[in-house]
Amino acid sequence: MTSFLRKRIISSAIPLVFVVLGVFCLARLTGSPVDLYLPLSATPQQRAEFSAAHGFDDSIPVQLWDYLTNAAQLDFGTSLRTGESAGSMVLKAFPVTLQLAGMTMLLAILGALLVGSLAAYRPNSLIDRIAGLLSMTAASIPDFWFAIVGVLVFGVGLDWLPTSGTLGGPEIWVLPIATLLIRPFGVLVQVVRGSMVGALSAPYVKVARSKGADPKRVVFGHALRNSITPVLTVAGDLTVGLVNGAVVVETIFGWPGIGKLMIDSILQRDFAVLQAAVLLTAVTIFALNILVDVCHALIDPRVRQAVPA
Amino acid sequence: MKSSVPSGPRRERGRAHTVLALLTTGTLLLTSACAVANSDAAGDAGSADGRTLRLVLTQEPPTLEPCESSLTATGVVVRSNITEPLVERDPTSGKLDPLLATGWRQTKPTTWTFDIRPGVKFQNGQPFTAKDAAFSIDRAVNSDLACNVDGYVFGDEKLEVHTVSPTRLTVTTEKTDPILPLRLSFVEIVPRTTSTKAKVRIPIGTGPYAVKSWQTGVSISLARNEDYWGKAPAYPRARYVWRSDASVRAAMIDKGEADIATALDHTSADKGNTVAYPNNETTALRLDGREAPLDDIRVRKAIGMAVDRKGIIDALLGGLAKPAAQLVPPGVVGHNDDLAPVPYKVAAARALVKQAAADGVPVHRQITLVARNGMFAGISEVAEALQYEMARVGLNVRIRMADTATHLQYQLRPLPRDVGPVALLIMHGNQAGDAAFTTSQYLVSDGPQSTFGTKELDRRIAAADALSGKARAKAFAEVLGYQNETVAQYAYLAHMRGLLGLSPKVRYRPDSATGDEMRLAEVSPAKAGRH
Repeated sequence: MTSFLRKRIISSAIPLVFVVLGVFCLARLTGSPVDLYLPLSATPQQRAEFSAAHGFDDSIPVQLWDYLTNAAQLDFGTSLRTGESAGSMVLKAFPVTLQLAGMTMLLAILGALLVGSLAAYRPNSLIDRIAGLLSMTAASIPDFWFAIVGVLVFGVGLDWLPTSGTLGGPEIWVLPIATLLIRPFGVLVQVVRGSMVGALSAPYVKVARSKGADPKRVVFGHALRNSITPVLTVAGDLTVGLVNGAVVVETIFGWPGIGKLMIDSILQRDFAVLQAAVLLTAVTIFALNILVDVCHALIDPRVRQAVPA
Repeated sequence: MKSSVPSGPRRERGRAHTVLALLTTGTLLLTSACAVANSDAAGDAGSADGRTLRLVLTQEPPTLEPCESSLTATGVVVRSNITEPLVERDPTSGKLDPLLATGWRQTKPTTWTFDIRPGVKFQNGQPFTAKDAAFSIDRAVNSDLACNVDGYVFGDEKLEVHTVSPTRLTVTTEKTDPILPLRLSFVEIVPRTTSTKAKVRIPIGTGPYAVKSWQTGVSISLARNEDYWGKAPAYPRARYVWRSDASVRAAMIDKGEADIATALDHTSADKGNTVAYPNNETTALRLDGREAPLDDIRVRKAIGMAVDRKGIIDALLGGLAKPAAQLVPPGVVGHNDDLAPVPYKVAAARALVKQAAADGVPVHRQITLVARNGMFAGISEVAEALQYEMARVGLNVRIRMADTATHLQYQLRPLPRDVGPVALLIMHGNQAGDAAFTTSQYLVSDGPQSTFGTKELDRRIAAADALSGKARAKAFAEVLGYQNETVAQYAYLAHMRGLLGLSPKVRYRPDSATGDEMRLAEVSPAKAGRH
């Protein structure tokens, strides 16, 4: 297991390094933030002072070196917009996204296991067809459209839910989570169903059925357990993709999370905050990938043996 | 009968249970975290108890620094609510009214004297005197803070400020400035204890409201200044939240979650809960006259004739605008009432382009039409309509949609090099009420937002700027007409109108300054559901 873990960490760390370096360099290719932060009448001296104060007058390799050495000491710089520490801004925003993403994936996995299993239990039955149609629709609906329609229907039309915001009772979670949930749920139902259909046609299930084993135990006990590995893998990938969904949800519903912070930082050329946000997100995704792999390996020992030396 | 299917070793089942336990623990932790976050049942915008005025903006202000109040997102919260200037401009009549100064007069050609209102206190209890006014002007205009008000309102001008007594102040300019009091209406007054080394995050002023809290990313709360020198505002509290999507802002008004919503979109707002108002913004294509084929005035004039302003306004802007013939809207000093929008004449425009082509102008060279995302509702569709209309008269146009920072690179000097001919879709707001603020930026040859010009136009602008009163208005009106005839740097589109969401519970009459300066003291509870 230790060897497996070491190999996975090394292979997962490579993209992390590329993402962090890539964002650093690409951000600087979009131009200097001086025009956004200084008035029209700013003198060349003021512009030069602004650039020097924030290190924009150094070459990109020098800026990168400064960034990496400071980041190693957990100093991620200061926000151009707010003057606050970029690290603290990111740490404040991150739990918001983490809550949303965690709740969403949990509900998506549990819901997909239930619906996917029911659909797989009797392939081509009415339940299977309805589940297939709904999951395909869910996986295809644009999240921003779903969010706006949700606000208009459930917020304004039916008056069941608040339109947006982060303060209030549990009802404030419904629309944001439903918006984030819809696509992973749709995809996972398909994965669970496909995996379960395969498992239910496996010889050991046929033998169990022929010997009169309890059908529910066969489906939910044996087949589901053996189908969980691909579900976890796909769920891990979908969780990574939730950062994209979080941008939409946080922007529309006014949640001050990491997705909105990233978009605002890009638009405002607030490089320090953008870098800190990307770094924390990349590290989280890295850790998540490792966690998924470990879970994967715990459930299916063949995975541990399959990792090449 | 016992099943022969192996249920797996006990250790394997344990691992599965571990995963399940991890998931369950995660849920519990997240749920408990949610419970902590949800301690306020009133919602982001505050409770509808009638004592809190709830406003929803398009974006969170980047700062509340008073010297950055010329930024729309900052000014709409700060100006005349938290801080106040010496003089304020009536957005409807254009007249200057006393505020923290009770009177002013030009005592020398380059010197103005202001009488300071006695008995005014800042929100921190400190008395307001002429020294604070002098300090505030110095801090905003003469300091190294690089304040936006310095650039937009005063340009390169430096001011000499002296306090004659605790209630008298003189301001001296380098050359005669007939509109200095108007310029000073953009300087928000702060106590002289305010930092001169750094911009402040939470300002202190003399206004009817003080900042109570700023919950970054969520809301800004104001509380009524009980020591306010003027008439007390109707609402003891005000709370700003922000939602970038116009349909969500409209939904918040429709559902009663907010009382006022800014910058609504005609496609998603309920007409019963909105009020349209002229917002002093004008849209136009700025044509880069340094690059072929836009360096030929026939091509530039043809673009003006190719634009179906009425069609675009009716179909894409919800009828909420008026065809424009100049960069300044009615009501601004210098607006030329005699200028009419260029008639929509496709055949004549095509003929002009053909003439230019016959003289060797490379009319098929690709023109880049640059527009900014989110500049106004329907901007993409307007850009596509303009592209179609320009193509119809024989020009080759591609669209580039840009974010604010990229758009600024095209908009401001130094202009980008080697990008070919550019038609930049701009939206210019003249909130100061005088054409000088437009001409100094958009029309003089080396203006920060102009691509070219002529010496004669520069001379006429400088001459108009030295005048005052009716002569000033007439001279600027002539400048705008002369620009259209001889320079034609702009193909005008429309004088825009804003759409404000207004709950039936409140009464407020928006004016041309509302988008940049929403005076909360002018809002009051409605009687019998009337605005």
